[in-house]
Amino acid sequence: MQLLGIIISLLGGGVLALIVGRQSAAASRWLSLVSLAVASVFYASLWFDTTDPQATSLWLLHMDWPWIARFGIHLLLVTDGLSLVLIGLTLVLGYVALLSAWHEINHRCGLFYLNFLFTLAGVVGVFSALDLFLFFVFWEVMLVPMFLIIAIWGHEGRRYAATKFFIYTQASSLLMLAAMVGLVLLNLQQTEVWSFSWFTLTQTDTSGSLGMWLMLGFYLAFLVKLPGLPVHNWLPDAHTQAPTPGSILLAGILLKTGAYGLLRFVWPLFPDAASSFAPMAMGLGVFSVLYAAKLAFAQNDLKRLIAYTSISHMGFVSLGIFAWNHLGLQGTVMQMVGHGLSSAGLFAIAGLLQQRLHTRDLDKMGGLWGQMPKLAALSMLFAVAALGLPGLANFIGEFMVLVGVFQVAPWAASMAALGMILAPVYALIIMQKGFFGTAASTQTAGTSNVLDLNTSELLMLGVLVVGLVLLGFWPNLIFTITVAPVEYLMHLGKGG
Amino acid sequence: MTYGEELIRHIWPLALFLVMVGGLIVLMLTLPALLGGKRVSRAVNEPYECGIVPVGSTHFRMPIPFYLFAIFFVIFDLEVVFLFAWAVAVKETGWLGFTEALIFILILFAALIYLWRLGALDWRTSRQKLDLRNLDAR
Amino acid sequence: MNWLALTSLMPLLLVASISVILLLLLAFIRDHKLTCWITCLGLAMAAFWAFADMGDAPQQVTPLLIMDDFSRLLGGTVLLVSLACGWMSYTYLETADEIREEYYILLSLAALGACVLVASNHFASMFIGLELMSVSLFAMVGYMAHSKQQANMTLEAGVKYMVLSGVSSSFLLFGVALIYAYAGNLNIDLLVAAEGPRLQSGYLVIGSALLLVGVAFKMSWIPFHMWTPDVYQGAPAPVTGFLAGAVKVAVFAFAMRWLMMAQGGYLDLLLLGLTVMAVLSMVVGNLLALRQNNLKRLLGYSSIAHMGYIIVTLAASATLGAAALSTALEAAAIYLITYASMTMLAFAVISQLAAQDRRFESGTLAHYQGLLYQQPLLAGALMLAMLALAGMPLTAGFIGKYYLVLVAVDSQLWLLLSLLVLGSSLGLYYYLRVILVLCKTPVGDSRLTLGASEKLLLTLLVAVTLWLGLYPTPAIQWVQLAIQ
Repeated sequence: MQLLGIIISLLGGGVLALIVGRQSAAASRWLSLVSLAVASVFYASLWFDTTDPQATSLWLLHMDWPWIARFGIHLLLVTDGLSLVLIGLTLVLGYVALLSAWHEINHRCGLFYLNFLFTLAGVVGVFSALDLFLFFVFWEVMLVPMFLIIAIWGHEGRRYAATKFFIYTQASSLLMLAAMVGLVLLNLQQTEVWSFSWFTLTQTDTSGSLGMWLMLGFYLAFLVKLPGLPVHNWLPDAHTQAPTPGSILLAGILLKTGAYGLLRFVWPLFPDAASSFAPMAMGLGVFSVLYAAKLAFAQNDLKRLIAYTSISHMGFVSLGIFAWNHLGLQGTVMQMVGHGLSSAGLFAIAGLLQQRLHTRDLDKMGGLWGQMPKLAALSMLFAVAALGLPGLANFIGEFMVLVGVFQVAPWAASMAALGMILAPVYALIIMQKGFFGTAASTQTAGTSNVLDLNTSELLMLGVLVVGLVLLGFWPNLIFTITVAPVEYLMHLGKGG
Repeated sequence: MTYGEELIRHIWPLALFLVMVGGLIVLMLTLPALLGGKRVSRAVNEPYECGIVPVGSTHFRMPIPFYLFAIFFVIFDLEVVFLFAWAVAVKETGWLGFTEALIFILILFAALIYLWRLGALDWRTSRQKLDLRNLDAR
Repeated sequence: MNWLALTSLMPLLLVASISVILLLLLAFIRDHKLTCWITCLGLAMAAFWAFADMGDAPQQVTPLLIMDDFSRLLGGTVLLVSLACGWMSYTYLETADEIREEYYILLSLAALGACVLVASNHFASMFIGLELMSVSLFAMVGYMAHSKQQANMTLEAGVKYMVLSGVSSSFLLFGVALIYAYAGNLNIDLLVAAEGPRLQSGYLVIGSALLLVGVAFKMSWIPFHMWTPDVYQGAPAPVTGFLAGAVKVAVFAFAMRWLMMAQGGYLDLLLLGLTVMAVLSMVVGNLLALRQNNLKRLLGYSSIAHMGYIIVTLAASATLGAAALSTALEAAAIYLITYASMTMLAFAVISQLAAQDRRFESGTLAHYQGLLYQQPLLAGALMLAMLALAGMPLTAGFIGKYYLVLVAVDSQLWLLLSLLVLGSSLGLYYYLRVILVLCKTPVGDSRLTLGASEKLLLTLLVAVTLWLGLYPTPAIQWVQLAIQ
């Protein structure tokens, strides 16, 4: 029941924050923190249950209530090691985003924290729902609060960006709905049982051309969310225009739902179709890695630059998943977590800079190292994390993905490895343009009282740094938990 | 007989009818244009080309109650048609028919009461009503 | 006619008696509140009776009307929609410079017509019901004729609706006549038997096509939609709600009886026509909605699109054969119910707002700017309605959309399915636009008040919209009962 506890405490906290927020903004902030803390307590208990060495099953069942009996739809919430890791990431980034919102979000606080906590609850639901219908519900429902976060608290082009984000995701997920229904009907034909359960549907025989079409429906929805080329177009706008906590949630967690979907649904449900489609998907992944890296290099807007680096990194995730071997998948999980932490850190820093300098334009920055050494040093750390410096989590992820891919598709691995060369270019350009060089830029000179990090900001970034370093040196922390679930997924994904 | 023939057999009278109607209209429109003389004079544009010269405007105002009477006539008098149909078969329909007819008449009666109280049956124009009220007040 | 038939007809009789009671009442006492109460109470009783009868054996009352579970369910839905319409009309009319009480007579007559339409399994009663509904609606659409702000729009709408409705009725009647010439009978159920060997005779094909034109007009399927935006915009908001909710449900219920249950739609020409109308309505309806600046007009186009989506069920029933016909029927009924609930929610909000300031219904979307912060309850309800219409999960709209996708995939209607997806994606844009306007920073300080009865109505409608989305099982069970 811990999972239900997490979701309910987030939802309840959101509603309370809205009510309290009418009187006092501070109260709604503290209330959100409390509800996150309560959720974390539940999570800690969940952690011990899942990693219990005496556990007999891979799965920890939380809830299995009949919902819509007509179609055999259940409220089925289950976690395994993979879900556990991703839910943990969600909560950690929840704290980070909350801290970044603490000073940035000053108007309509109650409503903001309602949307914020509902987004988190939706994401937790996505990571744990194993009834496809329920999964779809969470998948869509997390969109609405995120849409509002961008549309109400975002920057200058927020409404355009929010609409684009929503339409991209919703349109592709309608295709997923159609594919989902197709799969369920296929299963109905074979077994004469209505079921949306992942455990039942993975047994369905999906070989044949119909399976391919259904797989494409799922793939497209997840590809949009990932995002991968050529359907990445919503991301730069959404990430740039969202307020900092929104960007952190988007880059850190929401993108991971796409990767999670590919991992959990596309391969296990359609092993044959996925394996024959894999070269194509890997090609798109390589293309994402290289093209997005090139685009990132050409950006002046700091947040936009970071957004493109996200696309590039998620290309590795796409590669690792479609390699579908042990190294690739483990690397993917690590890459997801590492990217979650490092991109959250970069977006947080972009937000802090914008608060201080009132611009995101890299050309108007420069020489900031002298003015705020702590912030600059941390930026350096996140930038090198993003470029994959050994000793940090991203390196482990990217390296393992490349090794895994090399085993099945050497061409893809060798081309994607070029991405590792492009990454330093864009990562270092942030540092060079923003933090080094002369401080003579007019804007920067005008703001004489540019402050360095205060304690709460240090705390916020510190959490991320600790995570990155810890996982960089001790990746087994995650691998020990995910090894069994990944093996099981691979077993399903090998086909019958 | 094939399906197509069947279809044609069914449709041809209708098609013929449509063609004839269209043809008649075309005929009526073209024949006068061909046969009739064309002369332009002031009298041609008069409503009655030969006969009495019209006097006054055609746009005169009729009191609006006139239309109301026409509608009341439709509602109350023409309903007799339905009652007539019932009267012909009064024995066959029995008490059930009687009840139904009774309800029908009662509903009409309710409508009559409504119209009466609304003043819709008052023939006077609003000017006349005003005069009447002034008369009463005096 | 026996006692049982009479009691099963009770919902219709109750609604009919409301109008007579109101006539007599208005002859002596004019009291807006009392009139509204009587109407709402009568409609509520009738709806309750209809739902309470669910599960009883079907009753054929005269050859004209059949009271089966289908009639009870959709008739009850129509009555509930009318109830909501009457309820929201109170505040709306209270602020109008019109004679208010007669409106409720018209409303109850229109509701009666809609119920007759739902319960008819005979072309004659269908026509009676349709005309009773339409004629009452002409007057309702043009009801605000004395109001300075609205007179032009409302009269234009009323006349437009009357003229075009008349045209469509004549098509419909001609179609019925041709069908009679073919079958020698006006009973809808007998159509199946008569069809047999002489399937697709010319009379039947042309008659059905003309009948379909009449139906398409009421459903505002493109290309028979021309009246929709103007009438939606010009009519008073509660009446627009009735047009969008009750009329569509009633007419489509008849279409279900005729095209699906009686298999009147198993004609190639009809299927082609339906598909063309579906394609046009989904694509063009959504495209035209994109640039609308008046909320009611926008909802008009949105209803065109939604009615286009529902054709999927008709097309599916014609391609599937008897086995999966029930799925198509189930989907159609569910879609109608969910659509009615979310549309009524949207129009309830609009009419509560319009009651205080008519610019909310006649003006541009800009009047709604920042409403979320000034009037959170109303704006939240409107937001929910928009999300539901866009088909977001946990709202009624998603269940409807899910059913349509299910039917389309099941019967492999790939063209309609892809257009359904495309149309829904296009639709998102304008629903989101409304939401974005609601979220903008408010301009000025608007004083809006909300009475207890309005709050209750909104709460109920929100509850229904959410309930259908969160736990649709009871609704599904009822629908399954109704289509057996």
